[in-house]
Formats: sequence, C-alpha cells, structure tokens
Amino acid sequence: MIPDWMTSASRQFDTVLVANRGEIAVRVLRAAKESGLRGVAVYSDPDTGSLHVENADQAVHLPGTTLADTYLNADAIIEAARSTGAQAIHPGFGFLSERADFANAVKAAGLIWIGPPADAINTMGDKISARRCMIESGVPVIPGEEISMGGDSDHLGVLAAAAARVGYPLLLKASAGGGGKGMRAVHEPKMLRTEYEAAAREATAAFGDGTVYVERLLKGARHVEIQVLADSNGNCIHLNERDCSLQRRHQKVIEEAPSPAVTPTIREAMGDAAVQAAKAVDYEGAGTVEFLLSDRGEFFFLEMNTRLQVEHPVTEMITGIDIVQKQFEVAAGLPLGLSQSDIGIIGHAMEARIYAEDPSKGFLPAIGDLAMWRAPAGPGIRVDTGVREGDAVTVDFDPMLAKLIVHAPTRTAAARRLDNALSDLRALGVITNIGFLRQMTTHPDFISGGITTDYLDSRDVSDFAEPEPDPATLVAIAAAASRFGLDRAGSGLSESFVDEHTGHSGDPFRTLSRSFP
Amino acid sequence: MEWSIGESGVRYTAKLSDSEGTLSLGALTRDGHEAPHSEIGITRDSQGARLLVEIDGSAHIAHVAKVGDDWWIHINGRIHVVHGHEPGSADSAAGEGGLTAPMPGTILEVHAKAGQRVREGQTLLVMEAMKMEHRIQAPKAGEVLSVNFAEGERVDMGATLVELGD
Repeated sequence: MIPDWMTSASRQFDTVLVANRGEIAVRVLRAAKESGLRGVAVYSDPDTGSLHVENADQAVHLPGTTLADTYLNADAIIEAARSTGAQAIHPGFGFLSERADFANAVKAAGLIWIGPPADAINTMGDKISARRCMIESGVPVIPGEEISMGGDSDHLGVLAAAAARVGYPLLLKASAGGGGKGMRAVHEPKMLRTEYEAAAREATAAFGDGTVYVERLLKGARHVEIQVLADSNGNCIHLNERDCSLQRRHQKVIEEAPSPAVTPTIREAMGDAAVQAAKAVDYEGAGTVEFLLSDRGEFFFLEMNTRLQVEHPVTEMITGIDIVQKQFEVAAGLPLGLSQSDIGIIGHAMEARIYAEDPSKGFLPAIGDLAMWRAPAGPGIRVDTGVREGDAVTVDFDPMLAKLIVHAPTRTAAARRLDNALSDLRALGVITNIGFLRQMTTHPDFISGGITTDYLDSRDVSDFAEPEPDPATLVAIAAAASRFGLDRAGSGLSESFVDEHTGHSGDPFRTLSRSFP
Repeated sequence: MEWSIGESGVRYTAKLSDSEGTLSLGALTRDGHEAPHSEIGITRDSQGARLLVEIDGSAHIAHVAKVGDDWWIHINGRIHVVHGHEPGSADSAAGEGGLTAPMPGTILEVHAKAGQRVREGQTLLVMEAMKMEHRIQAPKAGEVLSVNFAEGERVDMGATLVELGD
C-alpha cells in the first residue's frame, strides 16, 4: 500500500529493496518501516540471521561465496527486487552505490533508483572528470593531475615527471579507489616507487583498477564536507558541514557537526560551492561534497560522494532532518519542501566509529564472537549498528561494528557525552578501538578543536594508550568469576533466552538500540 | 590457575576466601612473589554476567564474559582481557622465535631469506588481509632460520610465517 505522504508523488512505490548489509542496511530498512514502506533485504551465507535480515519484512538469499556473487551481483539483486515486488532499490554506501551501470540497470528494469542520475555518478566517480567539471563551474580545486598507467610503458618515469610538476609532499590515489584504499602519501621523491606499487596493488585488490591520480598534499588542512540535498525539480540546498579531520590513514575516526574551524562566512561560501558542484552534474537526492580547508580559511574541492555517507547521522542530529526519508521522497519525485533558510544548526553532534581492530597492534582488524554487546542509551545518544550480542565478527566484511552518535547543546558537552557513552559501551569478546576513542575524545588536542587531517598519522599510538589497570582487581575478578562458575552459564544468560529460530542468546524483549532525534 | 593481563607476560595468582558468598582477595602473587593489593571483595549479582566488586570500601560493577581461556571484563568504563593459564604452562607471548600471521590473508612480498641477519623492526614480509596491507616486522634482531611461505600464497591466522633465531 502506498503510504500517505507519497499519494501526490509522480513515481510511487511501497516496497524498497536495500542492496547492502550491516549497519547501513539496518538504518535504511528501519527508515523504510518508519516511512510506511515494506523493506526487502538481501544477504549472503555469512549474513544468514544477521540484524539487517531481522529488520526486513522479507529477505532474499544471494548464493555464492564471493562479493561478486552476492552484494556486487547486480543481476541477482535486480531479480530479487522483481521476485519480491520491490519497485525501488536503495544501495546504501559502498558495494554498488557508486556504480553508474548499476543505476542504469535498475532503471532499465523499470525500477526506481534511490540515488543520483548515472551521469552524475560517472562524472564525480572519475577524479579527472570531476575536477574538470568543478573547474568549469568555478569550484576551487587542489593542484594535481591524473596519470594513465597504460600497458608496459615507462609509467614510473611518467609518474615522476607528473609528481615533480605537482610538487611534494603529494598524495597518490587510485582513480577507482575509496575509503583510504589505494591511497598513499609520498613525502619525498625517493619514496615514490614503493608507495606507487603499494597503492596500485591495494586499488587492484579492492576495485580492479590501477589508474593513479597525483595531487598536492596540503599539510595542516582540515577535512570539511557539505551535505547536499537536491530534488528532481531543480531545487538544491545544503545541510551545513561535517568535520572529519580526525583520520587514520585516510579512514575517518570521529566526525562532528558543526566544524569548530568553520565560521559563518566560510560556511556560506562552502555551502554555495557545494550546491554549485551538485547543480553542475544535475544532482538528485543526498550527496556529499568534500573539501580541504586550509589553516588560512581557503578551501578546495576534494571529491563528491554520490551516495549516503557513513557519517550522515551527525548532520541529522544538528538539523533534525532524516536524510534517508528525504532520499525516499526525492526518489518518489516529490519536491524537497525545504529552502535554505529552513536549515539551522541545533547544538553539536559527534560520531565515533566503533571498529573491531587492535590499536596496540597497528589497528589490525580483530575477529571473534561478541560474547557481550550492550550499547549505551540515554538523552542525546544514538547507536547505529549492524551487530547484536552473540554475533560473529569475521574477516568477510568491513570491521566497522557500529557508529556511536551523540548530540548535546555545545561541543564541549558533546565530547563529554561521547566519552561517557563510550565508557558505557560493553563490547566483550572482540578487541575494539573503544578505549582508543575514549583517549581521543578526552585528549586536549581534540577538546581544543584544532585537529588536522595529518594529526593521527604524525603521532605514535602510544600517545593514546589507556591508563594502566590495577592488576589485583582484574585478577581477583577473573578468579572470582571462575569460582562462581560464570563460564558455565555461557555469556551469563540462562538457556531459556536462546532464541530457537536464530540461535542468538539475548533478551527477546530487548529494545532496538537506535533512537532517532 | 595463573593469570596474565592483556599483552603483558607477567603471571599472577590470586587466593580467594569465601565468606557468606563474598570472595575476598587474600593474597596476590606476581611472577611467584607476594605482591601488595587493595582490599577486594566480590559478590555475584543476580544477573548472571555481573559482579559486585568492592575495592577499598567503594562499590563497582563488573560485567564479564568468558571466551576460551580468557575473561573479558568491563569495569569503570574500560574493557580488559585476563588470560587464564594452567600453572607452569609455557609462556606463549611474543618474544619467542616464531612470527605468526595475525589474520588470514595473502603474502604479497617476501623480504627475508633463511640465514639472513635482520635488525629489530625490519620488514620481513608484507601480507594483505581484509584489503589492507600489513608489514610483518622482526620483533628483535636475529638470524632468519626459515621463511615458510612464498609470494602469492594464502595463509591462515596463526600460521608461522618466519622462524627467527638469535
């Protein structure tokens, strides 16, 4: 049944297939339910019984062992939509979300694509065409050029010449890379070869493309991005900025909104540039324009992500706008119903990414079973997660377990709330970065708001080591827990709490852990 | 039972005395020697995975979970791992000769061969796991006794990649 809010829309749908997994699939499936839509999940073997399947009205199994067989299998996903009566497909982020051919295939199958036009994905997905387009539309860009690594030519010579023109320090990026994969900083000419080989290999392993882009590395800059929303009637607004300067090897660690470095003047100029960028590619739906902000207040276009972003919740917290709901409305052909003057900033929001990784071992991904997973709750705390107690964390997928998002009246209050919420997150059985995040959120450099993108990579992880625990207390607890026989009670829950359908132990009446502003 | 905490190789034992359901820490040893400790009393909470911990008269709550031989403990906002060891068992911590694969993955580069002398921190192998590259480095200076895998080979977690002697 078509929900009430869609009755006047030109492209109606009542069922959405979410072509993704993990926390973002859960997020979109819940948003669909809240919007009165039916949600269809797809899943591969390791995800049988996972949280995103639990949150769907219907789930379709994707057979096969590789990502190409399953979450990257466009034909199988479109067939799943057809067989379940889903008229629209939401790609989430990662996987097929930025594949123009998939967007086209969805439309060719007579389905609604909840995303931007394929041409916009194409233009922005290729760093060189994005750059050309931005220069033409007057959006400032960083000095750089693309190197075509064709066949057996002297590509290192070509690369070295381009690097000399761009200037050191520089950044090597695989054109088809993303999320920090296939991206390498080169500080001096003699490191060029080693870093190029590593970047090309990572990009090929992850995305099947070895083309490289050389760009000047701005030292002491911040990563500030603008969330944009556009409808199919030519309206385009921005929802202010997010600051994602706290990064480790180009992987974001903590994001916040608004940015402590952005003044109202910069916000307006950057917002205008982002809207200009979106309009230049006839954008529709939700997208993010990323900028580098120098310590002198100049900003340069980095790239546009033509999809929902991992850190979208911080924008939702400070604007009160549900971005996924807006994606549904735009896909249905409805106008935004918002003008720029409607968008304000309420308080301050921060998001910490909870990864299964070991900071003391170079942030090596960690695996294991989540013997205990108890997320914090309370005013201004939101947890977007794809895992539950008892779930296995494996090497099959990205190690991000959850996003812990807080909202408070001021930045200082938000940082304290984040630290407190992190201290309440009880994740046992898998090593995580929670302790590291606590050290970070309470660190004077973070509190002062002066973090730049090179901050974490220029420091030793031991600077963020947790305080030494009292060994007597821990040993006494371990010995006492053994004496009390708590190990024989499983994770402390009696047999009757094991769900006979999913095999998961846990309170069957537990509340779902996401609260929405 | 002997215990060690996190990555530290230090072995502890704890002597507990039971008084009406409260276990009190009577004695603590650290690598075989008596060590000073706070006054600690632990009571089982009605909720299975929870313990009431009194440290020098102030009350705390610990949440615990057993995974294999390890106790995972959440107390005062921090998460700790305490490993259980059968008394007298060998120390399996790092510093021994073998360098093992931290994750399942593929060997990308081999930079060491048998008989070669390496310095501490020198990269011996590069492997790819979860789409990221990881460098396997020598934990100490020494002689490479054997390199057990070649470029392109897949390795399981815990596989011994390189044997390192003095």
